[in-house]
Amino acid sequence: MSAALQTAEAPKILEVDGLTMRFGGLTAVDGVSFTARQGEITALIGPNGAGKTTVFNCITGFYRPSAGSLRLHRSGGVAELHRLKDHRIARAGVARTFQNIRLFPGMTALENLLVAQHVPLMASTGFGIAALLGLGAYRKAEKAAVERAIAWLRATGLLERADDPAGALPYGAQRRLEIARAMCTGPTLLCLDEPAAGLNPRESEELSRLLRDIRDGTAAEREAPTSVLLIEHDMGIVMGISDHVVVLDHGRKIAEGPPALVRNDRHVIAAYLGEEDAA
Amino acid sequence: MIARLVAAIRDAALATVVAFGLFVIMVGLRTEVSPSGALFLQQRWREIGLLCALVFVGRLIIALWEIRPHSLGQSPRRAAFTLKLAQIFAPALMAAALVLPFVPGVDRYWLDLGILVLTYVMLGWGLNIVVGLAGLLDLGYVAFYGIGAYSYALLAQYYGFSFWLGLPLAGILAAFWGVLLGFPVLRLRGDYLAIVTLAFGEIIRVVLLNWVSLTGGPNGIGGIPRPSFFGLPFNMSGEPDTFAGFFGLEPDPIHRVIFLYYLILALALLTNWVTIRIRRQPIGRAWEALREDEIACRALGINVTTTKLTAFALGAMFGGFAGAFFATRQGFISPESFTFIESAIILAIVVLGGMGSQIGVAVAAVVMIGGFELFRDLQEWRMLVFGAAMVVIMVLRPRGLVGSRTPSIALGERKAIGASHVSEGRG
Repeated sequence: MSAALQTAEAPKILEVDGLTMRFGGLTAVDGVSFTARQGEITALIGPNGAGKTTVFNCITGFYRPSAGSLRLHRSGGVAELHRLKDHRIARAGVARTFQNIRLFPGMTALENLLVAQHVPLMASTGFGIAALLGLGAYRKAEKAAVERAIAWLRATGLLERADDPAGALPYGAQRRLEIARAMCTGPTLLCLDEPAAGLNPRESEELSRLLRDIRDGTAAEREAPTSVLLIEHDMGIVMGISDHVVVLDHGRKIAEGPPALVRNDRHVIAAYLGEEDAA
Repeated sequence: MIARLVAAIRDAALATVVAFGLFVIMVGLRTEVSPSGALFLQQRWREIGLLCALVFVGRLIIALWEIRPHSLGQSPRRAAFTLKLAQIFAPALMAAALVLPFVPGVDRYWLDLGILVLTYVMLGWGLNIVVGLAGLLDLGYVAFYGIGAYSYALLAQYYGFSFWLGLPLAGILAAFWGVLLGFPVLRLRGDYLAIVTLAFGEIIRVVLLNWVSLTGGPNGIGGIPRPSFFGLPFNMSGEPDTFAGFFGLEPDPIHRVIFLYYLILALALLTNWVTIRIRRQPIGRAWEALREDEIACRALGINVTTTKLTAFALGAMFGGFAGAFFATRQGFISPESFTFIESAIILAIVVLGGMGSQIGVAVAAVVMIGGFELFRDLQEWRMLVFGAAMVVIMVLRPRGLVGSRTPSIALGERKAIGASHVSEGRG
């Protein structure tokens, strides 16, 4: 399998080392280490309450880890995510979606995607003065931002709904729009928290295709390949698209490897089926 | 049909009981002074009966016609209709404001009322940036109004600044205080933010009241210089270096009033123009996104603190401009003018108009401040009529007069977004 071959060679993108998160006396994540590699889809799976979302919130800066380190390897160098504030992490190149969709419901789909490009757009406004007067540099930047938004609306099949409020879109479309919004920030690593939750089989199939295209950089025009980190319960999707799977249970990593290997792992089966763990 | 009638009557009866419970204490008992000078309780059963009957009839009408908040003002078609109405209404209102001083029969009283209304339109638009766009509940907006007024008054008193120099400085100082307050406060959310801003408004007033050596305390500051027509003063001498003399007009005190009217109109329109432009910019979109979902904003790399601060500072700046105008118009200011009720009125204008809607806020200011004047003849019943009017508007249009939102950008036609999708913000 080509994916397995890549695993050995592909450079690291995210290095999680000894990540621990305690809430008072409760240790939600206990010394978890794994590596996500460039150009791969890494899946984080585990039974309910295994600590997947906590790991996610640490990576995206919504929690500050109690111990351990998180390193993002980008073209410009290494960013130590565990030291950064959440909006700085997003600027460093980590985009995320939420388990319960968090769009801006009263804004149109297009506006949602423009808010995602706030940071580069703000830089072109010259403290708001140039934009207030409608000067050229800002107009050009806005045009480019709208083009990028259109490219992603097309990639997610939402172009006809561009001027509709995000809150009025059907559920599946809202999920896709949230992914498009995350991609509009131009991330190095895209983190998805249960993107297939509540989708019907056809929509799940479309989602799998979209994620593969995002990984390969073919989802929208002029977009670079983006590594994906994903939490998912739908094993069909996980086994179908991931290149690397990390399994958590009770806050600890219990297995890691290519999907075919993880699927047959004794500990994983025990954790999911609740059998007595012999080890 | 009968069942519905019975249900409606039961509903109305229940409301009447609640109203009776409230009115018995608030209206039914009144302390009066007897001729001998002693106090006694007067019972007013007739008034209670009248009020309860009113509540019964009103509630019956609401129940029978099924006037329910969720059935009104929210469908896309209705939102589009409101938008179309606003599009026709806005230029009409604008034209009326422009020609008002020259309409026959408009005397000093109407112009003064116009100036008052426009001051509140400007304050409403200023607060709309903070509350309507950024979704930050600010109950102490009057503080910035006061800071603007006192900044100009003190600069004029101690350093002899003219109005045209004092106006921008007052705005800048108010914005500066907005940032200073914002830094510690903006990490708070919703109700907590509201309470702290409320306290800030009171602190400013109390400081103005007690720092007698600087502000004159309760005596206020008088003799604030009046504005000049770009260097030409308005006075009665008729000399060539006065307004009337320069333009060869008969000296008349109405000139200054007309000038003040156009001045506040220009200031209000500046506020409006800046707000409309900024809504289509990244920072304006970030404000609205912040109102919709703060956590999502952080995940997109938006610096929430600075974004909130800019909204706060800009809102405060326009409050400061309005304050400087107030000072120069009155010629005298005291802490009396900057009490909490002012903040409440400005906030009511924004909420009644529809948070985030420019035309809605303007109409609400005209209705509220103008209505206040119209009901003057009703004396002590004025507040009751006024309160009832507000309740009716809120029942019919729970999201304000214009609750829908216009997108800041569109590929095709700009469609109004119904109020049900737009969030109010939680700080």
